[in-house]
Amino acid sequence: MTPEESSSLGKQELSSLHPLEVAVLTDLHTQSPTSEADLATHTGLDPAQVSMSIGWLQAKQYITVTSENVTKLVSLTPTGTEFSKSGSLLERIFNGATEAKQQGSLLTMKSLQETLGLQASDLSGPIGALKKERSLQIGPGGTLEPTQPTSALTSALAILIKDIAHGPSSYDDRPDHARKIIDTFSQRRGRSQEPFRVDEHIMRSFTLTEVGIAIAAKVVTTGVKEGYAQLTPEILKDGSWRSRAPRPYNIALRPPRIAAGKKHPYRSFLDKVKTTLVSMGFEEMRGPIVESEFWNMDTLYMPQFHPARDIHDVYFVKSPAYSEAIPEPYISQVAQTHRDGWTTGSRGWGYPFNEKRARRLVLRSQGTAVSSRTLASQPKIPGKYFSMARCFRYDQIDATHATDFFQTEGIVLGNTITFQTLLGLLSLFAKEMAQAKKVKFAPAYFPFTEPSVELHVEHPKLGWMELGGAGLLRPEVTHPLGVKVPVIAWGLGLDRMAMVALDIHDIRDLFTANLDLIRHKPMPF
Amino acid sequence: MPTIDFPKQDFDSLIGRTFTLEELEGWMLLAKGEFKGYDAETDELKVELQDTNRPDLWCAEGIARQIRVKLEEGPRSYSFFKPAKKTLDQIVVGHGLHVTRPYVGGFKATGYTLSEQGLAQLIQTQEKLADIFGRKRKSVSIGVYRLDPIQFPITYALADPDSTRFTPLGFDEPMTLTEILECHPKGIEYKSTLIGHDGKQHCPLLTDAKGIVLSFPPIINSREIGEVRVGDKNLFIEVTGTDLRMVLHALNILATNFADRKAKIVPVEVIYPAPTEFGASIQVPYDCGSELEVPQENITTLLGESLTMNEGKQALIEYGYQVKSRGKILSVKQPPYRDDLMHPVDAIEDIAISNGYHTFPTALPSEFTVGGLSQAEMISDKVRELMVGFGFQETLSNILASQEDLVARMNLSDTAIIEVDNVMSLTYSCVRQWIIPSLLRVEAASSHSFYPHSLFEAGEIVQPDQDAESGTRTLNALSALLAHPNANFSEMHSYVDLLFYTLGLSYTVEPITHPSFMDGRVGQLTVHGKPCGLLGELHPQVLDNWQIAMPCAVFELTLDKLTIG
Repeated sequence: MTPEESSSLGKQELSSLHPLEVAVLTDLHTQSPTSEADLATHTGLDPAQVSMSIGWLQAKQYITVTSENVTKLVSLTPTGTEFSKSGSLLERIFNGATEAKQQGSLLTMKSLQETLGLQASDLSGPIGALKKERSLQIGPGGTLEPTQPTSALTSALAILIKDIAHGPSSYDDRPDHARKIIDTFSQRRGRSQEPFRVDEHIMRSFTLTEVGIAIAAKVVTTGVKEGYAQLTPEILKDGSWRSRAPRPYNIALRPPRIAAGKKHPYRSFLDKVKTTLVSMGFEEMRGPIVESEFWNMDTLYMPQFHPARDIHDVYFVKSPAYSEAIPEPYISQVAQTHRDGWTTGSRGWGYPFNEKRARRLVLRSQGTAVSSRTLASQPKIPGKYFSMARCFRYDQIDATHATDFFQTEGIVLGNTITFQTLLGLLSLFAKEMAQAKKVKFAPAYFPFTEPSVELHVEHPKLGWMELGGAGLLRPEVTHPLGVKVPVIAWGLGLDRMAMVALDIHDIRDLFTANLDLIRHKPMPF
Repeated sequence: MPTIDFPKQDFDSLIGRTFTLEELEGWMLLAKGEFKGYDAETDELKVELQDTNRPDLWCAEGIARQIRVKLEEGPRSYSFFKPAKKTLDQIVVGHGLHVTRPYVGGFKATGYTLSEQGLAQLIQTQEKLADIFGRKRKSVSIGVYRLDPIQFPITYALADPDSTRFTPLGFDEPMTLTEILECHPKGIEYKSTLIGHDGKQHCPLLTDAKGIVLSFPPIINSREIGEVRVGDKNLFIEVTGTDLRMVLHALNILATNFADRKAKIVPVEVIYPAPTEFGASIQVPYDCGSELEVPQENITTLLGESLTMNEGKQALIEYGYQVKSRGKILSVKQPPYRDDLMHPVDAIEDIAISNGYHTFPTALPSEFTVGGLSQAEMISDKVRELMVGFGFQETLSNILASQEDLVARMNLSDTAIIEVDNVMSLTYSCVRQWIIPSLLRVEAASSHSFYPHSLFEAGEIVQPDQDAESGTRTLNALSALLAHPNANFSEMHSYVDLLFYTLGLSYTVEPITHPSFMDGRVGQLTVHGKPCGLLGELHPQVLDNWQIAMPCAVFELTLDKLTIG
């Protein structure tokens, strides 16, 4: 490094040094390389503080690792500490067996378990070791008989425990036979009650980099005027902030995580749809989740034999199974319309309408059920309504089928409503909901609308997709509910768009229980 | 919605013109058909048909016909619907069938060779008609036979199930009808269709003049004459069912299909023991299409376009209708292979489809309306905004859950909840009566997500209510959960207190006991003198049931109760 470069080291670098960094740099200036342990000794800092400071200095590229020594350290586990006081299990077993034999009896596994308060599984290890050493043999009935006056293994183990009780020490420096014993009696998976543990200890040495040398020199020669870490009420009060500078932060670091309050990503998407609809002049309507077949299907001119009404498509309620009587005049008018068209100008479905079936309770299977209730409640004319109704279908749940889901649907009532208004409204939905400039209309079929339309749009990301279905309600739907003006009924399929907006590939994830997913899901506009 | 497959080359030959796939996609709109794919190797086209009231379109012949009518600017005439000049062969219907499967009809298709493709298409059409239109053969079923061995007249009558024997398709030995119902796969599958209005089983049988069995409808054909093969030249087609219009409709579709494949259709006369809505003797195929009057005014009101009478008329003719104009009224009649004209709006939709939806100008609703949210939604939005401000993460759950989660795991025992009768999966067999289990579902799955956890959900719940019209009430509720090592009553109480204060409501908390909560650490929230919710620390047994290893404080409020003054 040239003198020019050296002098160009800004005050910035110097004043941003943390006191811990200053201590480490100063020590390395006198002696480099130095090990982490020596740094702690020299500076008088905690090993943790040293290692933190080393991390910062490495990130700033002021210091670098010169060598790494991996050493193994052996130390006592809590079990080992206990053994150092009251003897190892080996010792207790062998001594117990010897004493019993001297008194003319034999120690049994059972009595051993009782006196030591241990499980058979805890004893199998030490007994096995003694047996292998041939200092103990197991006789009939689980009796333990010593075959030698002393056990060399037991004595060697006791000496090792006593020695290591002084503190962790090098494993590799010990002789072979000691290492063997340590290996046998070390804690490991499945052997948690052993006296020893062996840990790898990495000993690293550090030296200053070129920039580090310059910085350290500056630290030592000019000293560091310590900035304050945190502006405090005291500093503000005594005015010392006028003469001291704050220590600059490393603002490139990632901030700590916080648990913030946020809306649910999918709910947030639905909120946006809701706001858009309200801004287009739609009024929200609500309806019950448990609904009679009457409002869910009959009013929508779905004949009672319609395949979409059977147990493979709709959830029926166990109890109560039936609603109260359906109010007049709706039940009679709808029933008559199904039978022969009533006064709607239709020939009707021509089958015997079952009024009890109409009262059968189901879990709302289509949002249009909410619209049918609105139609029967003196709706505004002109009027625009929408609902975002939770609906239920009898479906095997998979990546594309949810058991319950939101349906966004509604109606538009007015004397001037025609097929052309229907197409115009759908074009508007395409623009407002899917930012689509191009639309296609395809003839469709719904039991309650005629004409019926399917709306296909060119989504900026998804390409051509079906966005929804709509139509003009049949007179067989509107007249029995007391509505005489033309009515548009529309429904939008927004889940696919929501899944793209939220980058979700499985529809079940819209209702995920995984908090991480909910917390960290970006919610784009 | 039915989906069908057919070879494109067969389809092209039915139309008499070859289309590119792109062109075809556009033409399919006339039949409400959605193009689902094309396999260049097998030449198979896959099409989904939307209109469940147009069974005539569930086959290549029908779609081709709908397109051809447009290309040819009008329908072909099918002369076999006209009264026959010659005496016709007969099907004689016996007594007693009115309780079970009263109606039958049939026709002969001759001078035509059944190709492999033709047979495959015939089987597909037969299946779609019997399964979907015929409600799994209950209302309508179809039989196809080799014509040559049949001696007319055919008899359609009830038979004794134990003494009547014949060899069914798929078997080598003669079997009694009872044996067929017990052993034959089709017998087992369709047995239930034989139960009549009187709750008893009846066995209809079709036999020819020599007493040879044609079939045991709607179960199975006889092997002798009911096995149709490629190369057969003369066929007999029969339909039986419970609804005369539907039986005739199915026969008309099949007859026009055969005619479109250049077969000669020879009608058959059906003699009933008593008069039907179309008489005691019916020449089949029979055009039962009725006329309907469509006022010009209705067309304008619905389509928003002043089509001239002639334009409307032409559009309908090009869609297959017979149309006469009388003053300002079009008198329209559907072709015999259709039976879906219930109301003038049905014909008016066909005008729009015939002309193409793309030909219509679009307009926006011109009348002003004021948008807005329901009170329930506004309250929900308000509390959601507050909870987010309080630092809570919103969650969203399925409303369906298990009895286990809603009741058992919550230490509850006799709580009434709404259960599904036809359960698909126990995990989703009940409607939630409160939201706390929904939050615990998230908590139980999220111990790896850094703590503290502050969660809330605002949403619908359903509770049994004998006074309500449907015996249940859908309510809006708000629930929140705190989970961290020191989560407790007091911390959650602070949030509840702030919530009520911000909403301008005064409330009280009274000690109660509740099996889901720790004793002495649960309170009932009351607003306007009525209980509206709960606040407390969840019982360790509840946490254990959910395998949650973190203390949880929760509250739940019924939002609808906050507004009742």
